[in-house]
Amino acid sequence: MQNNHHKEHLYKILVIGDLGVGKTSIIKRYVHHNFSPNYRATIGVDFALKVLNWDQETVRLQLWDIAGQERFGNMTRVYYREAMGAFIVFDVTRPASFEAVTKWKEDLDSKLTLANGKHVATVLLANKCDQGRDVLTNNGIKMEQFCQENGFVGWYETSAKENINIDEAANCLVKHIIASEKDMLQSEVPDTITPQLEKDKGGTCSSCFRAQ
Amino acid sequence: MAKIENGRQSVDTRSIRTISSSHIDDESSLGSDSEINGFTSDRQTDKYGFIGGAQQYSEASAQDVPPEVLRQREVKWLDMLNHWDKWMIKRFDKVRLRCQKGIPPALRGRAWLYLSGGKVKREQNQGKFQELDSQPGDPKWLDVIEKDLHRQFPFHEMFVSRGGHGQQDLFRVLKAYTLYRPEEGYCQAQAPIAAVLLMHMPAEDAFWGLVQICEKYLPGYYSPGLEAIQLDGEILFALLRRVSPLAFRHLEKHKIDPILYMTEWFMCAFSRTLPWASVLRVWDMFLCDGVKIIFRVGLVLLKCMLGTREKLKACQGQYETMELLRAIEPRYMQEGYLVREILEVPVTARDVEREHHAQMKRWKKNRGELNFKPPPRMHGARLIMLSEPPRRQDLQQNPTIVLEVPQPTLKKGKEEKKSKKKKSVKKSQPVVEIPNPYPLPNDPPPPPSDPLPNNEPPPLPSDPLPNNDPPPLPSDPLPNNDPPPPSSDPLPNNFPPPPSDPPATPPVRDETPETVPQTESDSPHQQQARPTDLPPAKESPLQRSTQSLSSTEQDTYL
Repeated sequence: MQNNHHKEHLYKILVIGDLGVGKTSIIKRYVHHNFSPNYRATIGVDFALKVLNWDQETVRLQLWDIAGQERFGNMTRVYYREAMGAFIVFDVTRPASFEAVTKWKEDLDSKLTLANGKHVATVLLANKCDQGRDVLTNNGIKMEQFCQENGFVGWYETSAKENINIDEAANCLVKHIIASEKDMLQSEVPDTITPQLEKDKGGTCSSCFRAQ
Repeated sequence: MAKIENGRQSVDTRSIRTISSSHIDDESSLGSDSEINGFTSDRQTDKYGFIGGAQQYSEASAQDVPPEVLRQREVKWLDMLNHWDKWMIKRFDKVRLRCQKGIPPALRGRAWLYLSGGKVKREQNQGKFQELDSQPGDPKWLDVIEKDLHRQFPFHEMFVSRGGHGQQDLFRVLKAYTLYRPEEGYCQAQAPIAAVLLMHMPAEDAFWGLVQICEKYLPGYYSPGLEAIQLDGEILFALLRRVSPLAFRHLEKHKIDPILYMTEWFMCAFSRTLPWASVLRVWDMFLCDGVKIIFRVGLVLLKCMLGTREKLKACQGQYETMELLRAIEPRYMQEGYLVREILEVPVTARDVEREHHAQMKRWKKNRGELNFKPPPRMHGARLIMLSEPPRRQDLQQNPTIVLEVPQPTLKKGKEEKKSKKKKSVKKSQPVVEIPNPYPLPNDPPPPPSDPLPNNEPPPLPSDPLPNNDPPPLPSDPLPNNDPPPPSSDPLPNNFPPPPSDPPATPPVRDETPETVPQTESDSPHQQQARPTDLPPAKESPLQRSTQSLSSTEQDTYL
């Protein structure tokens, strides 16, 4: 972090999903580069900060690690406030946690929108991929299609334990956040919003989809 | 998932459900947890059972009580436990004072169970836990509970091994609660509470302790909707305004909602936040005096971390502030410091109630009625007891271990204290030398019959009722109501080890062994014995105590 006067970006990113899917582990891996089986269950909310160099600029990510139990959902409105992006995590070994993904996405979208009325960029993480991929292979779901239908900008099979795809997923999210930020700045000028949402997903983001 | 954790092979491919169902006959493969862990040899377990982690014992975070003092306290606590209702009704402020000084570790579990009313609940619901324990439970909750079992105090030896005894008991207790209150189910924050209890008592007792905490001390905290905790967040914030206007304004300015920093603090009663020595002291006071202690701890931490301009200068911004509050400086959490500060926060149960009322009104205005209306909050052990008066037999102690032969040498003495045999032994004077708790094992169980009367004859004086801050004093009492402020209260006096005869430790020790102050006969002696407790104390001026005594009791206070 030099003291140059280059631009700094600060983004709040939410990490949500059912309990025990590995949200805390993903964050610890991403920020502290390690993994432990001994993390405590998150109660309420936890935080971590990640600093990235991004095209000569500095990007600071505030990662908000939010308790996964349903009843904490009553507090999410406060937790979500002013976030710019989100990871929704599920556990590939637990189908129920995947079924909850749409519920989380709806909760997120209903409580949080950007200044331009759009939803925040959200990346889907299929965590614990080192332990199998039952959910992905057995239920006949096409992930790309699922993502498009549900408004995710991308998805990754991840493993916090084995350090698989965490950085990639984060980069994807940051890229979309920056894009949507630019989009907001531009759209401010004309004061009209071009309904580009759908196109956005198909176009710019395709690079984020990994070939199966 | 069968992986190696902490260097041990985890046994967890099977569900804890199956394990626990067979827990009774488990001479099974599961030996002691430490064997499973595989780190029997090289791990360092601290005196609380932690083998690592941030809450482990460190000299800096805790203060040790000299053994003589501890022995004296044990004797006093044993006496209190033997005549619990009397103490609670007539001398509650003494009980409180002793909770503030810290319950002796050997008796902590039992004391907690008595304070919380869990003991009475258990006696009045005999067989209930076993009944719940034998039911399968709702799979919906079991799934969630199972996912949390290995995530509670993972650095405590009791909970470190997957499927080990600690986790099995945790499962049983949490599952039993979901059956006991199906409409409440399971909330993740209950797990640390149950785990702390399990570190001090068997599963059945821990279950009733949990029930009391969930329903009397912190009602509604774990219910669907989590409304009560949010309401308490608002209450905390409102109280902060008075305690530290600077901190209050800072949080207000940065729009930091209380639930961003106090959820875990309150829902877990600080069990995941403070160094362990401090957790125990806070719980001692919390179970005695109720939720106001939790508020006070929160207020102390906020004030310490955000209470000066310099500190605020260093954290401009919401996120910075929240990070600060998640990384509280150890010195503010140090046992002695923290307890002292807690006692000085001018917030009483009445203040909490008043603010509760105000915030409730606001809540209704903004959000309507509560979806889940919790039972009224009980501010402390005394009110809990008064609300559900125990039968005599409910307070009887049932030792799990009874020594057949008086063996003063065994240290476990206190645990098994009353084998009912020896009533005969009435040693009159023995009391004087409180030093040796061990003898207790065989001594006379408090004869249920008459004992009580004499026991605390003269003492009852001033204190009893008034102090429970809650209801009594109308005005705004902050300072006095509440009890403890060290100063006013005769700390010094209470304590036995008055200067004159320095902890009369060893003296009569020999006799003590078998004889424990028999209720009736010795009542008189008792008085002599611990002059301090009694009125005389008052005479012996504080000054004297403060100065001369300072050594033993005083410091332990801090």
